[in-house]
Amino acid sequence: MNFDFTPVWENIPTLLTGTGYTLLIALFAAIISLVGGLAVSLTTLYGKKIFSYPLRFFIWLFMGTPLLLQLYLLYFGLGQVGILIPALLTGILGLGIHYMAYNADIFRATILSIEKGQTEAARSLGFGRMQTLWFFIVPQAIFRALPQLGNNMIIMLKDTSVLSVIGVTELVLNAQFEIANTFRPFEFYISVAVIYYFLNLILETSLNLFEKKLEGRR
Amino acid sequence: MDFDLMWQITPLLLEAAWITVTISVLAFILGLVVAITLVIMRSSAFRIIRWPARIYISVIRGTPFFVQLLIFYYGGSAFGINLEAYTAGLLAIGLNGGAYMSEAIRGSLIAVDKGQNEASRSLGFSRMQTMISVILPQAAGLMIRSLGVLGVIIIKGSSLVSIISVVELTYQSQRIISSTYKPFEVFAVSAAFYLILIYGVISFVDWLYNRYTRYLSH
Repeated sequence: MNFDFTPVWENIPTLLTGTGYTLLIALFAAIISLVGGLAVSLTTLYGKKIFSYPLRFFIWLFMGTPLLLQLYLLYFGLGQVGILIPALLTGILGLGIHYMAYNADIFRATILSIEKGQTEAARSLGFGRMQTLWFFIVPQAIFRALPQLGNNMIIMLKDTSVLSVIGVTELVLNAQFEIANTFRPFEFYISVAVIYYFLNLILETSLNLFEKKLEGRR
Repeated sequence: MDFDLMWQITPLLLEAAWITVTISVLAFILGLVVAITLVIMRSSAFRIIRWPARIYISVIRGTPFFVQLLIFYYGGSAFGINLEAYTAGLLAIGLNGGAYMSEAIRGSLIAVDKGQNEASRSLGFSRMQTMISVILPQAAGLMIRSLGVLGVIIIKGSSLVSIISVVELTYQSQRIISSTYKPFEVFAVSAAFYLILIYGVISFVDWLYNRYTRYLSH
């Protein structure tokens, strides 16, 4: 048994750059998944059948297959039809679309959980269908969805590690570069795990604080 | 779309799907054993027994499964242990799942009304008897549901062991793609296998839940 963490310490800038990319990827994927998820859920609930049925199929398909398979399909499949986009973009899109399906499912459930009386009241006050949705239903639905959405985003932050497989230079892949140079897999992966643990802790604590604050506003 | 190819590769992928099933089932059983141990440890009266369980759960849930898998497979060499890919994959999925399952089990036990425990104890049942004949039967419904969800997550997570070259569905798909250059067709077939597995498990869990609640209400 011999440990040597000096290679990790010497290469800490590489790991920190990777961490930066991880956070950036998580941020963009989160925006895609949240905005897209809301749009998808609204379309499946209120849209025309030509739009809502394919989107329901999309949710069913993406919740029923592994993230890795979807990433591969996006990465190699797009290449097959001649569309070549950088790995980073593929990763952000893949992760965003995967969680879009999960978020859409959550939004769908919370929108349906808003009492019918709300719609009736807004409509009888003279608001249009779109206005009722936008000013009354959606804000409340988002509020109710927040804990579950936060949970999903925590899971997503951890899942960014999978993107290393398709060559996105985030934390894990950067660590792997250095492992190839130093042959210290255990030390590097443990350090990577520690970094993820702290990122996770920070995200979890801030989401909890955010939720508490909102709870007070209610 | 090359339907001939899809037809040809189905038997190959069927074999690989069997590996996905066996590794998931074994990992689920291992996870359940770990989870029950953790739940018992956390209900102990001694801090020395409670804390290791809490730390284990926090570390496992705070770091990506993918990094844990890499540590199991590549990190063992630092201790002079070299696990086979299948063993490393199985251990990683099971030990990871155990932490999540223990939270699911604890959550459903806590969800049972506190008065039930008090009433049963005041009627002279021991702590053990109360747990087995009063709390568990009421918690089991919720437990079936949440463990079912974790079962689905395990099947999806098992796709990641393809990275350490366990020949399951995702790995086999990639191998076929590298000789046929038809990612779309191959992934469509393996996605179909995943969908059958995952929605199969979901319907089974629903059936079990309904059976159980009907049995309870009798």
